[in-house]
Amino acid sequence: MRRVSRSTWDSLAVPRRCVCGNPIRLNDLLSSSFSTTTSSSSFSSPSSSSSSSSLSTSISSSATSRPSSIPTIRSSSSSLKPRTSRPFSTTSSLAVIPSLLPTQSAKLAALHGRLGLPNGYPLTTLGRALIDPTAESEHHLNNDGLSNLGNVLLGYYASEYLMVQYPRLPYEILKTAMDGYIGPRALAAVGTGWGVEAAFAPGETVDPGLLQFNRVAPGTPLYKVQGGVGFNIPRKRNRMVPNFENNPSVNAELAAETPEMKAARESQRPGQDATTLQLAMASFVRAAVAGVYLHSGGLPSTKEFVHAHVLSRKLDVDKLFQFEQPTRELSRLCVREGFQQPIARLEKETGRYSRHAVFIVGVYSGEEKLGEGQGSSLPEAKIKAAISALKGWYLYSPASGADLPSKTDGGPGLPFTPAVIDVGDIVS
Amino acid sequence: MVVRGLQAVSKAQNGVGAFILQCKRLEFNYCEMSGSSRGMKAFLKTRLATFAKENPGVEIVVSPRPKKHPIIRGSYINKREKVVCVRNLEVLQVLQKAELLRDASGDKIKKINKPVQSLNDSVRGIWSPYHAKGEDVYKV
Repeated sequence: MRRVSRSTWDSLAVPRRCVCGNPIRLNDLLSSSFSTTTSSSSFSSPSSSSSSSSLSTSISSSATSRPSSIPTIRSSSSSLKPRTSRPFSTTSSLAVIPSLLPTQSAKLAALHGRLGLPNGYPLTTLGRALIDPTAESEHHLNNDGLSNLGNVLLGYYASEYLMVQYPRLPYEILKTAMDGYIGPRALAAVGTGWGVEAAFAPGETVDPGLLQFNRVAPGTPLYKVQGGVGFNIPRKRNRMVPNFENNPSVNAELAAETPEMKAARESQRPGQDATTLQLAMASFVRAAVAGVYLHSGGLPSTKEFVHAHVLSRKLDVDKLFQFEQPTRELSRLCVREGFQQPIARLEKETGRYSRHAVFIVGVYSGEEKLGEGQGSSLPEAKIKAAISALKGWYLYSPASGADLPSKTDGGPGLPFTPAVIDVGDIVS
Repeated sequence: MVVRGLQAVSKAQNGVGAFILQCKRLEFNYCEMSGSSRGMKAFLKTRLATFAKENPGVEIVVSPRPKKHPIIRGSYINKREKVVCVRNLEVLQVLQKAELLRDASGDKIKKINKPVQSLNDSVRGIWSPYHAKGEDVYKV
């Protein structure tokens, strides 16, 4: 056992805590003066033997499966942005502390184990999924490509699930439900639920088990933040957001600025190279899904993963509807389907002249009761009855459950029951 | 006349689909000198390796905490921590405490009165005086 004084520790620029796997021992890139003190964790035998064993169990298979890919993440760390302030004092010989390799990070191995990922899923891929393009601009080092692939896979499974489950869902509701399952907010919640933590700032000393991204400066308008892929991209600008670019006074200022001012403005443009925690986390989850696809046997296991982690979450599709004119829409529906025109009938009432009147109204098409609503006034009850009837139509779900088309990804010979395809929304 | 979508985010139902262990990190602190860490040190030497292998989803940290009683600190996905002091405990007792922290959800201890907690609506529906028939009608 060696005792190292606090000043010695600070001059070594190493965190005093011995993280699982003993980071001190791993930094063989450092100078020999450093390695002489590696036994300084005063109780060396358990920390080196026991804690590193948890790493070796989960890492060994992945490390052996793709040994060539191990150093790829950090090999060109020069393009990573250095931290502006370092928590530990540095000396000239130790100006840059090399970070852990992905295969040496306890956090990353624990995340791998927590998600139950197979051994064929290398830690390097998981580590790469945690690096946002705003933290590392090199495309072969960040999760940009993985995230795009994961977005496609998530969209595939979520859309087929919703279309088979609710064949009559209007397009707007389908989009909203897709957003509820695989939108950035939902995916960020998935990532947070996996226990992924974000690094304070991207840098060379960051543990590979932490999500790395460049944070948006405080006060930046959110519409200026560049989203990730797919559902992050706003289709059109919100009317409520003022359009600064086409503002005459702003244009006049822009015309008057010198090239130097313009360069300064361009370099400081908010949101250009930064993102929010939510978007970065969603991007990580997409990339993690893509990793399952790439390393764990393609589509069937990806489907299992997406259904287990994303589509098993609770989303009340019946609470996504907002009707503008439900009675009229119900009437059009009956015309289209050849039903008799809907008629609202008062079924029960109580306290008509009191403060707390209750009316129960049923909406009927001929003898068939389509829906029922309860309200404190007759129009309210009638509208609720129409909404109930419309939801009953739109939320039709096959009782026995049709097969998802992706079932045939497992093999072309599998028995397959095709889904119901409806004629579509009521448009008028 | 269009239907508009109201934004909503899916809610987690841990265990429906995948199960994520809520304990993400266990930190074992011990003192090299004091006798209260005797069981803890023996645990670290003999049991921790197996424990870590059995729980690949938990990050294990071992660090000295001189001149203090030994503790185990669990960090959870809900950003809370639980700390158990294991002074003077034997090896198996320390293991029990580690398992206790591993299996905890990280939530505060709270009394659960209902046998079932669910995000789903009641299958049976809510009783309504306007729909009950016969003897089921509520008489004021």
